[in-house]
Amino acid sequence: MGMSTLRQISVIARWELLRTLSTMGRGVLPAAIVLFVFLVAASGLAAESGVHLQDGIYRLGTDNVPAGQVIAEDTRFTVYLDSGQSLWNNREFYDVIILNSEVYVMDDEKGRAALTSLERVFERYTALINAEEPDLYAAYPLWIDRRYEKSELDFTATQSGQRVSPIPQGQAPAPQGPIVPVATPDGAVPYDPRVLRAEISRSAVQDDSVGRYTQVIGQESELGSFRTPDQLAPPLPFDSIILIFVFIFPLYFTSQFYMMSIMNERIERRGEILLSVPYHPSAIIIGKALPYLAMMLLISLLIILISDLPLIIILPLIPVILFFLSAALVIGMLARSFKELSFLSIFFSTVATSYLFFPSIFANVHVVSLISPLTLIVLEIQGDSFALTDYIYSTSLFFLTSAILLYAGSVNFNEERLFSLHRLLPRTIEFISAGISKRYPLISVFTLGALVIPFVFMVQLLGLVLFFNLPMPLSLLLLIGYAAVTEEVAKSIGIYALAKILPGGLTWRLVIFGSAATALGFLIGEKLLLFATIAQVTESVFGSILFLSLQVLWMPFLLHAGCLLVVAVALKTGGLRLYVPGIILAAIIHVLYNLIVIGVISL
Amino acid sequence: MKSRNIAIVAKKELSGLYAEKTIVFAILLQLFIALFSSFLMVGLTAMYDPNAISGYQGVEYGIGYVGEKEGGLYSIIDDRRDLAAYRMDLDSAIASLKERQISAVIWVPPTLPDDEGPIVVTLYTLQNDIQSSIVEVKMKEVLLTFEEELRSVRSERLMMNPIKLNFPDTRGGSNYFEFVFGLLIPLLVFMPAIISAALIIDLITEEYQSGTLETLLSTTVTYSEMLWGKILACILIVPVQSAAWLALLAANGIVVQHPVEILLHVIFGSMILILIGAFCALHYRERTSAQFIFSTAVVVVIILAMAVPYNPLNLLVRLAVGTIGPLHWMILSGIVALAVLLSILLNRYAERIGLLPMR
Repeated sequence: MGMSTLRQISVIARWELLRTLSTMGRGVLPAAIVLFVFLVAASGLAAESGVHLQDGIYRLGTDNVPAGQVIAEDTRFTVYLDSGQSLWNNREFYDVIILNSEVYVMDDEKGRAALTSLERVFERYTALINAEEPDLYAAYPLWIDRRYEKSELDFTATQSGQRVSPIPQGQAPAPQGPIVPVATPDGAVPYDPRVLRAEISRSAVQDDSVGRYTQVIGQESELGSFRTPDQLAPPLPFDSIILIFVFIFPLYFTSQFYMMSIMNERIERRGEILLSVPYHPSAIIIGKALPYLAMMLLISLLIILISDLPLIIILPLIPVILFFLSAALVIGMLARSFKELSFLSIFFSTVATSYLFFPSIFANVHVVSLISPLTLIVLEIQGDSFALTDYIYSTSLFFLTSAILLYAGSVNFNEERLFSLHRLLPRTIEFISAGISKRYPLISVFTLGALVIPFVFMVQLLGLVLFFNLPMPLSLLLLIGYAAVTEEVAKSIGIYALAKILPGGLTWRLVIFGSAATALGFLIGEKLLLFATIAQVTESVFGSILFLSLQVLWMPFLLHAGCLLVVAVALKTGGLRLYVPGIILAAIIHVLYNLIVIGVISL
Repeated sequence: MKSRNIAIVAKKELSGLYAEKTIVFAILLQLFIALFSSFLMVGLTAMYDPNAISGYQGVEYGIGYVGEKEGGLYSIIDDRRDLAAYRMDLDSAIASLKERQISAVIWVPPTLPDDEGPIVVTLYTLQNDIQSSIVEVKMKEVLLTFEEELRSVRSERLMMNPIKLNFPDTRGGSNYFEFVFGLLIPLLVFMPAIISAALIIDLITEEYQSGTLETLLSTTVTYSEMLWGKILACILIVPVQSAAWLALLAANGIVVQHPVEILLHVIFGSMILILIGAFCALHYRERTSAQFIFSTAVVVVIILAMAVPYNPLNLLVRLAVGTIGPLHWMILSGIVALAVLLSILLNRYAERIGLLPMR
C-alpha cells in the first residue's frame, strides 16, 4: 500500500507538472519575463524619483527664502515665496506661513499636521548641519548606550493589572531576590567620530515612510546599541518587514496556481477522468500539490540565498507554505465560479497576510508578536535566534490547520462534491458534514468539536492582535464578545450540519448528548493544544478570556455544553431559521459568564 | 453594436454578482483592510506614544539612577510627574529592574557638562515589553532636554549656524491626518478599481473555459456587445463602492473635499485598469495565465504611476485635501484620452477575435 501510494503520488505529480508547463508555455513565460524586466525598471525609477503619493498636500507661504529652499525639498509642501504683507493678506490660502523666522499655522487639524511635518523637516535639516560641526561633541554631547535586560517575571505581569510595582514611594525599592554583580559600563563611545557623523546624516535623510505617520518610531542604527537621544525609541524592523513581503507574495502567487488547477478539474466535469483512475483521493491531492510545494520551497531558498540570509529561516516558512496550499485546495474546491474564486482567495490572502504580517511589526515590542511565524524570521534576521519552544508556539497552529484542511479536502474529493453547484454556505456545510457519520453522530461531533479548536485559536488570536491595541476596558469587552461569538459559532457547526443532513432533523437525544459530546471534544481539544503551545498568552487577562482558565474543568464544560444546548434547542424547535437568534443568545450567556469569571459582575 | 444588448449583458453580470453574494465578500474585504490599517495606526501610535493610551496616563514610573546626583539629568527625571528617580547602585538597580520594581535603569558617568568628550549614559530596560516601550519614549524626552542643556553649555564651540525658526507652541498635533488623507483615502477609493479589473478577467475567461460563450453568441448578442456589457458592469460598480467609502468616512467625521471630482478620476482610472484586464483576458482566454500576467502588469503600472509627480493617486490626495486647482481637469482629460485610445484598440482586437472560432 505504502509503496503504491507513493507511486500514485509521483504519477499525478509528473502529470501536473507537464500540464502546468504546457499551459505556461503558451506565451505566459515570455510575457512574464518582459513584465519582470519592466518591474525592475519601474522600481528603479521609483527609487530614483521617490514616491509621489503625498506631494503638495500642504501649502506654505514664506518671505524667508533660505528657509523656503530647505522646506521645498520635502515634496509634501508646495512653497510660495511672496512679500510678508501679501502673505498675511492671503493667509486663508495657506496652511502655514513663515514671516522672517516666525511660523504661523492655520488653527485646524490640517494646519497642526503641517506644523508637525514642518518641525520634522527642520529637525532633519538641523541634524544634517550639526553633523558637519568641527567639534562633533559640542553638537552631539550626549550619547546613549542602549541595553536590554530579560525580566525574571512573565511578560504578562504588566497586562494582568499590575502595571508597575508598588510605586511611587519615598525611597528606592530593594530587590527581593539575589543581587548579581553587573559590569560597570566604561562610558566611552567605541566609534570614530567620522562613523558617528555618517550615521547621524544617514538617519537624518532616511525617509522612513511609516515613521512619517507616527513620528515616534525609532530607527535602526548602524552603531549597534549606541545612539543619540533623537534616535531613541524602539525601532521598527523596517527592512525585515519589507523582506517578509518579498517572501509572502511569491508564495501566495504560486499557491494560486494550485487553486486554479483544482478549479480547472471541476469546470465541465473535466476531473472525471482523474477520478476514474483507481487512485486514492489523497494521492491525487498530494500529487497535484507536490510540484507547487517544490516550487515554493525553491523560491524561498532562492530568495534566502540571494539576500544572503541565514538558511534556518526556511523552517518558519514551511508551515506558511503548507497553510497556503491547503487553503488553496479548499477554496479551489468550494468556489462555484471564477469570480467567487477570486473574491474568496483575495479575502483569504488579506486575512492570512494580516495574521502573518501585523504581529511581526511588534517583534521588538511584545511577545504576542510571536503568534506569527514571520516574527521568527524578523528576529532571526536581526540576529536573535529563536528557540524550539518559540517555533512550536508560533507554528503549531499552522501545521494543525493545514492538516485538517487537507483532510477535509481529501474526504470531499469525489464526484458528488466536486461537481455540485450549490451556493457557498450550503457547500461549506456539505464539506463539513462529510466528516459526520450518520451512524455514529456523537463520536463525529465530539471529533469535530476537537478539530475546530486550531481554527478557533487562529481567529481569536487575530482578534487579540486587533484589540490589544485599544485602551484597556474597551479592548477587554470587545475581546469578550468576539471570543464568545467565535466559540459559539465554531461549536455549533456539528449540530447544525446534523440538523441539516439527518432526514428527520435532530432528535431530543441528539440535542442533549450531541451538545455534551461536542462540548467535551471542544474542551479536550482546547486543553491539549493549550498544554502544547500557548501557555504564555493564556496567563494574561486576555488569555483567560480567550481560553477559559485551566484550573476548574467542570465549569467551562457546563458553559460550553449549556451554550451549545441553547443553540441545539433553538434548531430543534424552530429549525434552521432560529439558528442565528440561538447563537446570539448563547453568546450573551457566554459573555455574562466571562464577566463573572473575571469579576466585573459579582453574584 | 446595440446599446440595448450591452445593457442586457451588463444587467446579467450585475445580477450574477448579486446572486452569488461575492460582492459582499469584496465589501467585507475592503472593510477588513480599512479596519486593520486604522487599528494598526492606533496601535502603532498607542504603543510608541504613551500619551495616546489614556490608561497609561497618570502612572508614575520608577527609574533607577546610578551616578552623581549633582548632574542635571537627575533633576530633569525627578521633576517630571510621570517619572520618579531613585539613587541606587548598579547591581541592585538591575536586580530590581528584573523584578519589575522599577521600569528602567540609567547609568550616568561623572563626565562634566563642559567636558571635551561626549557624555555616554547607559539605559537599561526590559526586552519585549510594552511598558518598556512607553518608558523609553518618556526617557527620550528627558534625554532630549538634557542634550539641549548640554548643547547650550557647549554652545561657544559650535561653528555652523543653521537657519532657526520659531514654531508656535500648539502641541498635540495630529498624527492621523497624513495617514488618513495621504494613504487610507487613496487606498480605499482606488481598491474597487483593482477589484473590478480582476473581475473582468473572471467574467471573460469563464465564458471561454466553461463553454458558455457559444450559447451566448447564438443569441442576437454579438461578441463586442458581450465584451462591452461586461466592461460596463465592472465599471458601474466602482463609483458605487468608492462613493460608499466617502460617505462612510464623512459619517466618521473625515470630510473629503471635491468628492465628485474624486469619483470622476476613480471612474476613468478604473476604466484603464479594466481595459488592461480585458486585453489580458482576450489574449489568454484562460484565467490562470490572464490573472497572473494582469496582476504583475498592475503592479508595474502602479509603481510607475507613483514615481511620477501629479499621478492619479496623488491627484486623489490633493483633491481630498483641496490643494489643487483646475490643473487636475487637464490631467483627467489626458486619462480620458488614454481610456478612449485603449477602448478603440480593444474594439479592434475584439472584432478580430470575434471572427475566429471560439476555442
